[in-house]
Amino acid sequence: MKFLVCLKQVPDSTVRVKVGGDRRSIAAEGITWSISPYDEYAIELALERKDADASTVVSVVTVGPARSRDALRQALAMGCDDATLVTSEADLSALDVAKALAAVVNEAKPDVVLCGKQASDDDQGLVGPALAEALGWPHVGMLTKLVPGASGLELWREVEGGHEVWSAAPPVVALVHKSEKEPRYPSLPGIMKAKRKEIPEKDLASCGVTPGAPRPEVALMDLPPQRGQGKVWKLDGDAKGVAEQVAKALREEAKVV
Amino acid sequence: MRLDPGGTDRELALAVRGWARGLGPRVGDAERAGSLALDVVRELGDLGVLGMTVPERDGGLGASTVAFALVLEELAAAWPSLAVGVSVNSGIVAGSIVRYGTAEQRARWLPALMDGRGLGAFALTEPTSGSDAAALRSSARREGEGWRIRGQKQFITSARYAPLVIALARVGEPEPGRPHAGITAFIVPMDASGVVVGPAESKTGLLASDTSAVGFEDVRVGDDAVLGAVGKGFAIAMAGLDGGRVGIAAQSVGIARAAVARALAYGRERRQFGTPVVEFEGVRFPLARARAEVDAARLLALRAAALRDAGLPFTREAAMAKLFASEAAQRATYDAVQVFGGYGFMREYEIERYARDARATTIYEGTSEVQRLVIARSLLSAA
Repeated sequence: MKFLVCLKQVPDSTVRVKVGGDRRSIAAEGITWSISPYDEYAIELALERKDADASTVVSVVTVGPARSRDALRQALAMGCDDATLVTSEADLSALDVAKALAAVVNEAKPDVVLCGKQASDDDQGLVGPALAEALGWPHVGMLTKLVPGASGLELWREVEGGHEVWSAAPPVVALVHKSEKEPRYPSLPGIMKAKRKEIPEKDLASCGVTPGAPRPEVALMDLPPQRGQGKVWKLDGDAKGVAEQVAKALREEAKVV
Repeated sequence: MRLDPGGTDRELALAVRGWARGLGPRVGDAERAGSLALDVVRELGDLGVLGMTVPERDGGLGASTVAFALVLEELAAAWPSLAVGVSVNSGIVAGSIVRYGTAEQRARWLPALMDGRGLGAFALTEPTSGSDAAALRSSARREGEGWRIRGQKQFITSARYAPLVIALARVGEPEPGRPHAGITAFIVPMDASGVVVGPAESKTGLLASDTSAVGFEDVRVGDDAVLGAVGKGFAIAMAGLDGGRVGIAAQSVGIARAAVARALAYGRERRQFGTPVVEFEGVRFPLARARAEVDAARLLALRAAALRDAGLPFTREAAMAKLFASEAAQRATYDAVQVFGGYGFMREYEIERYARDARATTIYEGTSEVQRLVIARSLLSAA
């Protein structure tokens, strides 16, 4: 079986994000970039199938600026077989990204396309469903497990209070919520091997995409207001007396009850 | 020499940093239990850390000594007890077999040091011979086609977890004026009949790292157990220690770096007299000095590592790196505990563990005094 995992390079979750001077984007200086966490789960799900069946091929693709090559390299170091970079330095709409990915999918002809359910930078969750639409393939969201079944694939989804098992015959697009195991670390031999692999590069034109799909624009980006200082009350008395004083302070000073 | 290590070396170290972040409570649990969980060692094998110094032709990664030093720094920053076991396993033990072993010995023994089934041990020190290593009393006598080893070894790192040990024993009698005459290195599987591991030592620090006595009670091994040539073991031990000293320098850098980082983080949060304590010069100055010493120590360690990678002599540089880095780690951890104040003395805050763990670094793989002897001897012989 052949998997294609679509990933996005995003600011690492440990980065303290600052708003840029234009107040419409984040300040890019000094940012450490990583694979978006849900995309890492998608890679892990695909690699688990490869662990179970060595004939499985796991490819990765991203659409993004040249620095995204590092994210692909990391995926190769985790154990993916090959990678494709579609370069675009411009910030693209989800629809344009989906169209570019669809061109790569049509060329690679995978059985299963996996995407993280949303990227951790903008949390929009648009590209996966748009890709399924562009391909005309069935689409399953909130995937947590993927196993071969009698009629194709068993797709486990997380739902409120439990899970559902759907079945689908490939090809299919699935959006990953998490994997049972935490995503594996790139091994040191994996890093060395990944260094030696070529990562072919395409541009949007070769994918047949002319950017310009309608999209909303970010009007303002702002951090939450700084929290005011807390206040420490020194309360005396028994539990009932203290509770009364707290209730009074919450009502009259904090005005929250 | 490049002041900033190359991309691949740095990437390997960052991968290990990422893995070490996931250790979480396993570090504290193992330190309290006083033993290393072997699943962690297995993970290091899977990650490729244990075989990183072994050439690709022998199934390893073939990474540079610089990369290994950077990786040891990362391991030590997270867990010094683990770093010393890896330094001995992959630096001294695997390194000696790679350098002096026959093709058969490399094929037979290196996989056990790379796959995470345990951590190899190096048995030089004896109850009556520490810094004066050549005064060892363990003996190896010819018996038929092989050898019979007798002796008692002391303070052996990872003895309890080791699949094999490189043991130094003397063939023949000591010769006046030639203290290292006859000393021979043997590769001995720990399950060989007559190998007896004593009770684990109760130590001040590095609690999860095993340190035990190992007895060789008429252990019989074949000729194929001899590493290098008969009578050439002291040179193997000294070469191993040169590499080991780079490893302990890197471990010291990791400990000092982690102590400074923790002290900074705590000092930002801890408020006294209405302000974070990092605003006080009395806190800033020691941390500034410690950070400068961390960088200086790292550069010394990487210089020694780069010389080794280039095939150049590095004995003096390794001794300098080990001396400076281990003593810098004492100062850094002392000052870090001071920043934490009373909380620094409490087990709940891990900073005291780094201070206890750092203490060993000026002692093992040659005390600071031995490093000064090595450096001075090299200066005098060059004059």
